[in-house]
Amino acid sequence: MIAFGGAIGDVLTSSTMYGSTVRFAALLVFAATGEWIAEKAGTMNISVEGMILTGSFTAALGSYLSHNVWIGLLLGLLGGLLVSIVQANMSHRLSSNQFVVGLTLNVLAVGLTAYLNAQINPTVERAGIIRVPVLSRIPLIGGALFGQTWLLYLIYPLVPAAWWLVYRTRWGLEIRSVGENPQAADVSGIDVNKRRRQSVYLCGVCAGIAGAYLTIGQVGSFGADGVSGRGIIALAAVILGGWTLKGTVGAAIVFGFFDALRFALPALGHTVNPQLLATLPYAMAIATMLIFAHRGRRPNALTRPFVRGLT
Amino acid sequence: MTSASEGVAASAAAPSDPMAWKLHGRNSAPSVRLQRITKRYGQVVACDDVDLELHPGRIHGVLGENGAGKSTLMKILIGLIQPDEGTIDVHGSPVRITDPITASDLGIAMVHQHYSLVEQLTVWENVVLGEPTKLNRADACARVAALSERYGLGVDPLASVTRLTAGQRQRVEIIKCLRREPRIIVFDEPTSVLTPAESEQLFSVLRRVVVDEGRTVALVSHKLDEILHATDEVTIMRRGRVVDRLSTSKATASGLAQLMVGRPVSLRSEAAALGSIETITANVLSSALDDAADTADAADTAAALTTTVPSRPVVLDVRNITVIAKDGHRLLDDLSITVHAGEIVGLAGVEGNGQRTLGDLLASLVHADSGTVIVDGSEVDIHRPGALSAAGVGIIPEDRHDSGCVLDLSVAENLVLADLAKVAKRGVLNRKALEVRAVELMRAFDIQARSPHASMRSLSGGNQQRVVLARELSANPKVLIAAQPTRGLDVGAIEYMSERLRQAATDGVGVLLISTELEEVLTLADRVCVIHAGKIVGEMSRSAIDLERLGLLLGGMAA
Repeated sequence: MIAFGGAIGDVLTSSTMYGSTVRFAALLVFAATGEWIAEKAGTMNISVEGMILTGSFTAALGSYLSHNVWIGLLLGLLGGLLVSIVQANMSHRLSSNQFVVGLTLNVLAVGLTAYLNAQINPTVERAGIIRVPVLSRIPLIGGALFGQTWLLYLIYPLVPAAWWLVYRTRWGLEIRSVGENPQAADVSGIDVNKRRRQSVYLCGVCAGIAGAYLTIGQVGSFGADGVSGRGIIALAAVILGGWTLKGTVGAAIVFGFFDALRFALPALGHTVNPQLLATLPYAMAIATMLIFAHRGRRPNALTRPFVRGLT
Repeated sequence: MTSASEGVAASAAAPSDPMAWKLHGRNSAPSVRLQRITKRYGQVVACDDVDLELHPGRIHGVLGENGAGKSTLMKILIGLIQPDEGTIDVHGSPVRITDPITASDLGIAMVHQHYSLVEQLTVWENVVLGEPTKLNRADACARVAALSERYGLGVDPLASVTRLTAGQRQRVEIIKCLRREPRIIVFDEPTSVLTPAESEQLFSVLRRVVVDEGRTVALVSHKLDEILHATDEVTIMRRGRVVDRLSTSKATASGLAQLMVGRPVSLRSEAAALGSIETITANVLSSALDDAADTADAADTAAALTTTVPSRPVVLDVRNITVIAKDGHRLLDDLSITVHAGEIVGLAGVEGNGQRTLGDLLASLVHADSGTVIVDGSEVDIHRPGALSAAGVGIIPEDRHDSGCVLDLSVAENLVLADLAKVAKRGVLNRKALEVRAVELMRAFDIQARSPHASMRSLSGGNQQRVVLARELSANPKVLIAAQPTRGLDVGAIEYMSERLRQAATDGVGVLLISTELEEVLTLADRVCVIHAGKIVGEMSRSAIDLERLGLLLGGMAA
C-alpha cells in the first residue's frame, strides 16, 4: 500500500503522465461527447464501441489510400456514421431493441475490421504534432494540453459546440424533450424518432472521429484490438458524469488517467502484473459507477422506444 | 341515434325549432364542422358516424363517460389520430388534418390533460417546444410573460416545470396553446387536476378567451358540474355515438346524466361517478341535518358521529413517514394517518401531492427515509418485500396495468398470483385447483371473461379492476388500500367498485381510499383527510364537510 502511494506520488509529478492522460482521455472525450448527445435523446448507444472501431479502420484505410491525414479523418468519420445509420434505423425506425442491435454491431465490427485489415493491411500516415506557442509552455500541463497531435485539438471546439447545440438551439431543445418525455414532444409536433436517429448519427460522427484520432493521431496503425472496450468506457463516462457534459468530460479524463497509468507505472519503474494492470480502467469504471450510480439524473425516456399512442 | 342525426339535419337545413336557431344560426357559420366521423380500432368502434359543430364565441361541451369516444373525436380534430371515414371543415373549407402541426396551422390547438409538458425543461422552453423558428430565450420569455399578464395567469417563464403545482402546469399548457393565437381551442378534462378554486379561475380565463376574443372552445369532460358551469351548449356522447345536443341553459344535471349513461340514474348513488359535488354535499348535509334533528343538538352531532367509529381498533397506523426523492424533494413529509376497522378513510388531494408515493409505500414499492407503519397493532418492516401483504394489507394499485396485474397472464393466473401457495404443491401448480379457485372468484366478483384462461388483456378495464379487487379481498385483508380505484372506468364499473368498498368496510376491513376525485371521496368516505405537498393538512368527518374549507385545504392554503 505504501509502495502504491509512492507510485501515485511519482505519477502526479511526472509531466509525461499528464501528456499521456490527455492522449488517452481525448479518445474517450470524442466518443463520450457523441454518446452524451445520443443519450440525451433517449438512446443508450452501446454500439459506440463498434463505431469507434469501424472509424479507426476506415481512417487507416483513407490515410493508406490517399496518404492524406485529412482524407483519413473524413473516412474515419464516415465509418462511424455508417454504423450509426444501421443502429439508428434499426432501433428508431424499425423499433428493434437498441441493445441487441448495438451488441450485434459491436461483434460484427470486430470481425469485419479484422478481416479487412488482414486483406488490405493498410499502413497509416500519422498526423503531425503541433506545439501551440506560449500555451504549450505552461508548466506541467502546457505540453499535455497544447503540445499534441493537431487531431486532439478538435476536442476544444467539439465539446463547447456539443453543449451549445444541446442547450442553445431548437434542435437541442427538441433532443432533450425527446429524451425526457417523447409523448409530450410528439403532441408538440416533433418527429420523435427522427430526432433520435439524428442524435445517433451525430454520435456516430463523434465516435468516428475518436477512431480516426486513435489510428492517425495516437497510435499510427490500426489494431483490431485497439479499441478494446473504450467505447464502453465512454458509455460509463456519461453515466459517471451524471448526464451532464461537464461531468462526462471530467469522467473521461479520470478514465483516461487510469488508462495512462497502465503504461506509466512500469515506465516509472514500478513493477505491477501487466495483465492485472490492463484491467485497471475497467475495474475503475465499475467501481466509480458503484459509488456514483445514484447521483446523476438520467433522461426519463432513456432506452425506452417511442411508439405513437402508447403512454 | 336516429334522433341525433335528425337533429343535425334539421339544424343544418332550415331551423324550424326556434331554439335550434338560437343555437346554430346566431352568428355566422360554424368554425369547425365534423361530419360523419368514424374511427375503428379492430372490433371496437371508438367514434361511430359522429357529427359535431363548434361556433365562434361559444364554449361547446362534449360530455360522455370514459370510453364514450369524446377523446378520440378531439384527437382526430387535433391531428393525432386519422379518422377512417368522415370529413372535417374548418372555417367553411374542407381540410385534412394529418398531424398536430397541420392542426396548428389551421388555428386549432389543444390543452392536454396529461403528458404534454416536459418536466425537466423550464416554462419558456416548454412553451416554444415544437415551434419551427430559431430559439430565442429573451423573446420567448417576453411572450410568455405577456400572455401570462393578459390572462392573469401568473406564470414565471424561467421556472422549471418540475417545481410547479398541477394548477400552474395547466396554466403553462394554456399559454403554450394560446401562444400561437389559435381560433379553436380544445380543453381535454381540464379540471381533473385542479382544486375547486383553480377550476373557477380556469373558467374565468375561458370566458375571456371566448367572449372577449371571439375564439371557439370545445370542453371535453365527464363531469356534469363542469359542463353545467362552463359551457353554452353541449353534445352528449355514449359508446362512440352522439346521443343528443342541447343548449346548456336548458340542461339539468339529472337529464344530462341520463343521456350520458343511457338509463335513469339516481344522482345520490352515482354522484361520484358523475362528478356532481353539489348533489353529494346536499345529500350529506341533509342527512347530517336529519341526524342533528334526531339528537336535538346540532353542535354535538359531528362529534357524536365521529366517536362511533374510532371506538373500533386501529388497523392501519402510518406514523411520521418521510420519503425524500433523489433530488431532495420531500414526496411525503412527516405524514401520519390512521384507519380504523370498518371505516373508509378518504385521502383527498390534487394530483401530485404525494398520494402516489403513499400508495407505492403501502405496496412496498418505495423506501421510506423515516417513519413506521403499524398494521393491526404490530409494526411492519416496510422495507421487506411482501411484509405488508403478509401483515394483512391488500392493495388496489393506482396503475392496474403497471403494478395491479400481469396483462399477458390469464385471468385465473392473475387471480391467484398473490397467494400461489393455495394452488401449488411443492412448487408445482395444480392446474385443477387453480381453475376451481378462479371460477369461484369470478362468480363471487361477477367478472365477465370468456373463460378463466382468457388473457387479462382481453378484459375491459372494469373487469380487470374486478380481478384485482377479487384477488386482494379474497386474501381477507385487515386493511385495503384503494388507490384511484375507479380511474378510467365507466359508470357501471364505478358503481360496482363503490359498493364493494362499502361492503368491505361493513365487513370490518379498514379502507384507505386514495383519490383525486373529490366527488368519490365525498360519497364514500366516513372521514376525509386532505393531503397537500406530502403532508396531511386537514381532516374532517363526513358529517362536518365544509366545502369551502376543503377547497382551501386542497390548495394548501389553510392549515
